[in-house]
Amino acid sequence: MARVRNWQIDREMSYWYPENRPKRQFAAVFDTNKCIACQTCTLACKTTWTSGKGQEYMLWNNVETKPYGFYPLGWDVKLLGKLGGQKWQGKRYEGHTIFEAAEAGERVHGWRPDELDYAYPNIGEDDCTGAKLERGDFLTLPHNRWFFYLARICNHCTYPACLASCPRGSIYKRPEDGIVLIDQSRCRGYQECVKACPYKKTFFNPMTGTSEKCIACFPKIEMGESNQCFVNCIGKIRHAGFVSKPENVREDNPIDYLVHVRKVALPLYPQFGLEPNIYYVPPIHVPRPFLHQMFGPGVDHALEVYRGAAEDPELAALLSLFGSTQYIVHRFKRENDTVLGFDEKGDEVVRVPLREPIHIRQAWDSARSIARVNVS
Amino acid sequence: MKNLTALLLAVGVVAGCAKPAAAPPVEVEAARVSVLPSAPGDAAWNAAPAFTAALLAQDMVEPRLLEPSTPTVKVQALTDGTSVAFRLTWADDTKDDLPGTGRFVDACAVQLPAAASANVPAPQMGESGGTVEISYWSAAWQAIVDGRPDTLAAIEPRAAVDHYPFEAASLPEGSKEQKDMALRYAPARALNGAARPASGKSVQDLRAEGPGTITPAAETKSAGKGVRDASGWEVVIVKPVPEGLRGQARSQVAFAIWNGSHKEVGPRKMRSVWIPLALGAGA
Ligand code: SF4
Ligand code: SF4
Repeated sequence: MARVRNWQIDREMSYWYPENRPKRQFAAVFDTNKCIACQTCTLACKTTWTSGKGQEYMLWNNVETKPYGFYPLGWDVKLLGKLGGQKWQGKRYEGHTIFEAAEAGERVHGWRPDELDYAYPNIGEDDCTGAKLERGDFLTLPHNRWFFYLARICNHCTYPACLASCPRGSIYKRPEDGIVLIDQSRCRGYQECVKACPYKKTFFNPMTGTSEKCIACFPKIEMGESNQCFVNCIGKIRHAGFVSKPENVREDNPIDYLVHVRKVALPLYPQFGLEPNIYYVPPIHVPRPFLHQMFGPGVDHALEVYRGAAEDPELAALLSLFGSTQYIVHRFKRENDTVLGFDEKGDEVVRVPLREPIHIRQAWDSARSIARVNVS
Repeated sequence: MKNLTALLLAVGVVAGCAKPAAAPPVEVEAARVSVLPSAPGDAAWNAAPAFTAALLAQDMVEPRLLEPSTPTVKVQALTDGTSVAFRLTWADDTKDDLPGTGRFVDACAVQLPAAASANVPAPQMGESGGTVEISYWSAAWQAIVDGRPDTLAAIEPRAAVDHYPFEAASLPEGSKEQKDMALRYAPARALNGAARPASGKSVQDLRAEGPGTITPAAETKSAGKGVRDASGWEVVIVKPVPEGLRGQARSQVAFAIWNGSHKEVGPRKMRSVWIPLALGAGA
């Protein structure tokens, strides 16, 4: 095992291979507060990539209701339970990552889901914590009763467990954009990656005999466009781009700004040690202990910043860019009450007002002397 | 106590009277025949000497098999001077031939050095500069050769499928357009990847230069057939003698067995050390 630097846990850790970061790293920010669990993303992915034989129960993108939703069943709680209680010391994780907790004979501390664990992608959907809603439950933050939607794709981790676990070296991380792929000509279906990935985002296809995973729509990324699950997102919760290492942060890079500068978007289970690259704005209404476990020690700060977004023009500007263009925005700039996005070449690809103009449609149409209804 | 002494004495007398047993063979001896058998039930096997190969858990490289399973494999070999036919017989009371998530299949493999050399390649799949040739048989592939349809329904009888886009009414069944579209959702098949054998085969030829390097040979020239009864598997693998071993009277051979229900796959396997192989009178 090599020693590598993982900024998300603020320390060095053991990894199967030496540190070898890509030229740039595909990354994204998902705002959990905006997701409506419409599953349009899930279907966009399904139709594009996984409509083949053997892929029937495979969802490279899935949206689950937390805390009772899981795909596959219990994916996170099973691993958390296996790892046992672990500790953060401030921003530094003092516990064991899944690489450090690997048992004898294993490269990674993992577990194998059962085939049937994939059979309930909607389990727990819209299930609220607590037995029943009491009067006043919704009036405080965090809510007494709560659930939220967690949209998930492969995290194209900096230190992928899938890649580390493959004895054949069939999994690789592209040097040009950090996208993690399984070489379908090399894979022999050992399913070590399925066991190792803590997010359970590699899947075995019994018809091809290989494991398959989210490819981050790399043909689109290569053309400067966002992934299918991003451009189809009804809630406009997603923003794709590239994240830098903390020492190379560029303030006008949207992802850097949200992740490193304002620290409003956080990795999912950073304690597992993979440096995952899908970052989440945590839900504002969920009790903090749950969020600390899921998103690490940055939660309180992230939520404070996020809740102040309305009075924070720069942040509000950037959040307004979410879901507003199919192109990847490499640079953003606010000009008064408008935000502009630029592609890699520096060409403007989108321009959005911070506040949409409000038009009030009168209920009474005086010209026709008739009351308007919603469908008229 | 008296009875026990009497019994022990009796055992001693019987043992003392028995003819000395023939020493177990110390090598796999490929007897010369003119026509190689291709099936495990062929009568030619009756005359072939049997060698019992002890198996060890692969516990040298991660991921390892920590809990040993199949202890031995019985090996017989015959050669016609060009190819060697191996019959492997091992005990396995569960039939595992359906691939699936967390579900693995029974399999076996035969390994020979690619070339004769004073330095025998490492027994664990060779080493850099010491190539080994491997022929791998899988129960899942055998089932397809034996007639199991290569369909989802055969693997997952309870799966309900709404629709595949390439089976839309607008695409004529069996047309090139339909096949091309289906392949777009199955890149491993489109690429003819390492996970499947050549069509119609239950055996795949591979080459390796150390753990993790195994790669399908340009062409699978070996053939094989496996059958089982309640006690286990009998598999024949007929393998051309590697080019680098042609004309050699002796070499080495190693075996590996995977028990699917014991979650054995890839490096998680039972394997033998190199065993001396006598190739008849100069293969
Ligand atoms: S999320 Fe899982 S599948 Fe994706 S890169 Fe990380 S370890 Fe691999
Ligand atoms: S499309 Fe967007 S809003 Fe709808 S479920 Fe997916 S992430 Fe949530």
